[in-house]
Amino acid sequence: MSDATAAIIPPTKSRHLRACLLCSIIQTSSDFRSIGCPNCEEILQLKDSPDRILACTTSYFDGVIAVIDPETSWVGRWQRISKYARGMYAVRVKGRVPEDVEAELESRGIKYRPRDQTDQD
Amino acid sequence: MSDVEDHGDTGYEHDDGNDAPPKRKLYDDEDSEEEEEEEEEQQEGGKKKRSKHRKRDPLSRFLDIEAEVSDEEEEEDDDEELVNDGFIAEEGGVEGEAGGRHHARLDKRREMESGGEKSAEDLAKEFRERYNTRKLERFTGDMNEIPQRLLMPSVHDASLWQVRVKAGRERDIVFSLMRKSLDLEYTSRPLTILSAFQRDSLPGMIYVEARSSALVSAACTGLVGVYLSRGITLVPIDEMALLLTIKKKEEKVAEGTWVRLKRGKYAGDLAQVVDITENGDEVGLRFVPRIDLNPRDDGDGSKKRKKGASATNPGSSSSRPPQRLFNYEEVVKLYGRNAVSKRGGGSLYVFLGDTYKDGFIEKDVKLNSIILEDINPTLDEITMFSRTLNPDGTSNGGALEDNMVDLSIIAESSRKAALAVLQPGDHVEVFEGEQAGVHGVVEEISGDVLTITASGVDIEGQKIDLPARSVRKRFKPGDHVKVMQGKNAGETGLVVAVSDASANSGSDNSAGGGVVTFLSDMSMQEVSVFSKDLREAAEVGNGTNVVGEYELHDLVWLDLQTVGVIYKTERDSFRVLDQNGQSRLVHPHQITIRRDARDSNKSIATDSEGHEIRIGDGMKEVDGESRKGRVLHIHQSHFAFLHNREIAENGGVFVTRARGLVSVAPKGSLAKLAPGTDLTKMNPAAAGGAQGPGAAGGMVGSGAMGRGPRDRLIGVNVVVIKGPHKGYIGIVRDTNGNIARVELNTGNKVVSIDKSKIHRRLPNGKNEPIEGPGATTPNPYASGGAGGRTPGWGGAGGRTPGWGGAGGGGRTPNPYAMGAGDGGFGGKTPAWNVGSKTPNPYAADGGRTPAWNAGNKTPNPYGDGGRTPGWGAGGGNKTPNPYAANSTSNTSSGGWGGSTPGRSLMGTWDSGTTGGEGWGGATPGRSLMGTWDSGVTGGDGWGKGGSDRNAPTPASWGGASPNRGAWNAPTPASAATPAAFAPTPGLPYGGAPTPYSVPTGGFAAPTPGLMPTPGMSIYDTGGYGGLDMRNNYQPPSDWLLDPSFAAYLTSIRVVIKDTRQDNYLDGKYELLEAQVLAASRAAANYEQTALVKVKVQGNEEDRSILTKYLFPVPPSHQDQAAVILTGPRKGDKVKLRQRPDTDADSLTELVVVQTVIEKGRAEDGSANGEEGTGPFWECQKDWMGALR
Repeated sequence: MSDATAAIIPPTKSRHLRACLLCSIIQTSSDFRSIGCPNCEEILQLKDSPDRILACTTSYFDGVIAVIDPETSWVGRWQRISKYARGMYAVRVKGRVPEDVEAELESRGIKYRPRDQTDQD
Repeated sequence: MSDVEDHGDTGYEHDDGNDAPPKRKLYDDEDSEEEEEEEEEQQEGGKKKRSKHRKRDPLSRFLDIEAEVSDEEEEEDDDEELVNDGFIAEEGGVEGEAGGRHHARLDKRREMESGGEKSAEDLAKEFRERYNTRKLERFTGDMNEIPQRLLMPSVHDASLWQVRVKAGRERDIVFSLMRKSLDLEYTSRPLTILSAFQRDSLPGMIYVEARSSALVSAACTGLVGVYLSRGITLVPIDEMALLLTIKKKEEKVAEGTWVRLKRGKYAGDLAQVVDITENGDEVGLRFVPRIDLNPRDDGDGSKKRKKGASATNPGSSSSRPPQRLFNYEEVVKLYGRNAVSKRGGGSLYVFLGDTYKDGFIEKDVKLNSIILEDINPTLDEITMFSRTLNPDGTSNGGALEDNMVDLSIIAESSRKAALAVLQPGDHVEVFEGEQAGVHGVVEEISGDVLTITASGVDIEGQKIDLPARSVRKRFKPGDHVKVMQGKNAGETGLVVAVSDASANSGSDNSAGGGVVTFLSDMSMQEVSVFSKDLREAAEVGNGTNVVGEYELHDLVWLDLQTVGVIYKTERDSFRVLDQNGQSRLVHPHQITIRRDARDSNKSIATDSEGHEIRIGDGMKEVDGESRKGRVLHIHQSHFAFLHNREIAENGGVFVTRARGLVSVAPKGSLAKLAPGTDLTKMNPAAAGGAQGPGAAGGMVGSGAMGRGPRDRLIGVNVVVIKGPHKGYIGIVRDTNGNIARVELNTGNKVVSIDKSKIHRRLPNGKNEPIEGPGATTPNPYASGGAGGRTPGWGGAGGRTPGWGGAGGGGRTPNPYAMGAGDGGFGGKTPAWNVGSKTPNPYAADGGRTPAWNAGNKTPNPYGDGGRTPGWGAGGGNKTPNPYAANSTSNTSSGGWGGSTPGRSLMGTWDSGTTGGEGWGGATPGRSLMGTWDSGVTGGDGWGKGGSDRNAPTPASWGGASPNRGAWNAPTPASAATPAAFAPTPGLPYGGAPTPYSVPTGGFAAPTPGLMPTPGMSIYDTGGYGGLDMRNNYQPPSDWLLDPSFAAYLTSIRVVIKDTRQDNYLDGKYELLEAQVLAASRAAANYEQTALVKVKVQGNEEDRSILTKYLFPVPPSHQDQAAVILTGPRKGDKVKLRQRPDTDADSLTELVVVQTVIEKGRAEDGSANGEEGTGPFWECQKDWMGALR
């Protein structure tokens, strides 16, 4: 098994599941508020800022992946989440991160890949 | 242990609200369900729980913190290494990343350094920060640079397995798998799957990534909703990526897009997107509000009122208010000025938390609570958006022509739909791409690719493949089109204009095609629809014009006193013409009830002439404007709503008094022309609808039938044999004289058809006339069928009380009634009747009407009295003979009544106490009738007026038998009898009344009643003074087929006669003797034929000959065998015991014969079953057919 940490697995019945626009992890909005995004908190700064959560996560996603072993899993690799925490991820997330995040990514030289499968290469 | 851990965990979390939980690696090993639950509970916001945990905080915090901190440190290092590893690994490949990585390192270092310089407090703070952010390793997106294609699965990757699950539970199951794997991670049997996922577009399946299917099934066992039994399927490696990349067709939400709301009061309402939030999660919509302008609790305080009318009150969705633009004045009036606040300038209001602008409500709605696909906005809906509020608050209906709607938007929204509506044969044009402008006919559609046959100068006939979305249907003015979907579905019309939506907008938006305006065939009004909804069609539609549950031309109640007929349907209202002739605009909710169409059908009204008016009749006003129209509805027998599409006013519907109408159909005049029609209806006393005028009296005495509640034709399956409806099958719904109203099976249409044009349809598929031909012919003498009407047993009117109830007019009372069901034969005199109707058990004989048989044959001196009458009755009355109780009385003149064959029958029955009343009455009636008929035809003494005749008869009967009572009734009916006579016109006998006339004289005074029966007369002859009443026996045309002779069929000698006069087979066989080879009865409607062997000029020839040209050869010498052709001994084999006269004219000669009793025949009771000879008796020569 991987050594990767596990994100909080949201309860199945939750109606407030949201997916991170950057890493596509699925959490409840309250989890995002209390702990932020386990993968990209550093750049998104979601914790305790509901506005940020609204801007950087969305409830509009399709497909749920239970990533149990991100390092080994091809699914994880394909979704580019191999390095992330274990947990629930969305296959496709609609929307793009806010512009400031995009700018930040750019300044760091990170290629932003939207999770909405709009650009495939 | 887990307890402690748990407490520590919770304590940790609540220790500092800002603390993010550390990586959970530490307690993951003990990660138990308990913990899961804890988490869930907490997330559900159980405050209680939290406080409870807090109590234990100090201790657990202590323990936990210690443990965690140390561990985290290590972990951090690890992680950093990990990150570094990553960088190193990719360094070579990715040039641009170096800078970023450098920054990251610098940042890290700076953090460390700054930490070291701080004061203790700061340090502590810093630590905390570090602790907080410790886990926040820099987001590196290190995988983002790899092109997706390099991530394709390889053989070294684990496989994907498809698992069937319960539809709708896919997501739950994936979650469960995740949780399960975390739970079992450090147990002895951890889940060894790598991942599991689900796609919304693949219902009923999840995909599990694992090395083997066994691992998958191990992981899935115990999960509810997983159908392991349905197999675990390996996903081919090249399809793995597709599973993750498939996506539903992107529904782009753009400003101006039309969407529909999914839930709530506005469910299904069209809305237009005005703006979109940054992350595309919510959209700002603009739509027509539904403000309750009739708050229910008016009397209460404004607060309560507001609540009751609250737009967000979900409970009130059942009666949601109509769509209406926001009107400040109205709302203020109802809800008070405070409820509405005005914002900014213009018409921006806030009411009950919603913003209203320009009359529309503007609201932010979650993306998943709106429908983006298959919007198909209708023009009506869109025009609503084009309305603007005038300053005075009234709405200004914007028509399409106002160009206020950007049709391109609609066109865009219907772009996808356009694909679905194309069909081979559609005429399309290409509006985009390099083929733009080409048009042609769709040949083939496969997926999104169309093959069209182009038309045009250069490329005429070429086949071109095109993407389906770049074509649109093409119409030109003059095309006849039909609307396939939408509000106007079913309308047809002629295209008068085509407006291209793309004309004033970008070409990209023109996908759905333009708006086609056509002139409706129905309403003669212009209708504009999208071309995608149209098809070319030749037919003329009968548009339904249905709005809700109301339909054009429905009769509706507006209130208790007022009814009206919908003459026009509008978008959300109707135009109704009420019974007072006033036209009103009515909304569906103002309609109390719709009168069931059937109710209306039941209403009865009469026109100015007293005729019944029915729904659907063509009527005309007798006065006033003389408007013509078709009756739509009748209200309270007084008002008639008529429709005439030539009248422009009120959609062609008008209301008038039923009494002021007269039929435009020739119904009334027909009734006048055809005597005797519709007696049923007009005169209950004449019930039963005696069809022949003469039969009018037939019902006397038959009280039960008096009302004639139903025409017996009603409900009969018929087929139309003539006229425009020829070939149609239907059911008689009603009759009115000669006219039958037939409900055609097809088209649910009721048409009025002359009865002569319909045939009864028998269950066996054959048709036969609905009733005797006589039924429709007024001339009693001419009508063949009239006989059938003989009161005795004729049509309904003629039913003898005794058995009248038995049914069909035509039915013989005959107990043996073969084919009694053939009502259609009613026309034929029982006696005549091909037998079926004859009471004669050997019915084939029927053809021989007693009457005509009877004739004036001398009673057979040798025959025992009993028998004689029997034959007189013509086979038919054979029955009585054997029992011949009456024979004696028959002979006596006084007993005439009794001697009538019929009567004798009666008598017989009586004595037998067969309870003959019922039909006994009938039988004689018939025979009697027959007699009478002939008599009448003869015209002599008989002709003197039916009443005379009638009178005596009952009398004579009276004396005869207990059945008389029954008899009496039929007698009057005898009037009809004359008709009976006619049916046999074909028979030579037709002209033969004369013989009867002879007796008439004798008849005249004494036994008029008796006379009638021809059969009788035979016996009576003696009594009549020795008049030779014998008559030539003329076998019926199908005598050969009589079952009585079946045994002798091939041995009977026949001669072909009468062919010359009919020019049958050129008379080639005239007078040739033939041998019958075979003959069997064909269906009643066909001419009977027999296969005979005949010698023509030395050559033997087998051929079919109509039996009517085959005649028996009378026996000509002593000891010759013969078969008796008629009479009570019909079918008996005899031997001549006397040399007959050779004179051809002496066919009526009586010859002594001896019955030959064949083996097995024990007719008389005297037979011993052995072949032998029977009694001697005397037989008329032509009653016998010689045998070979």
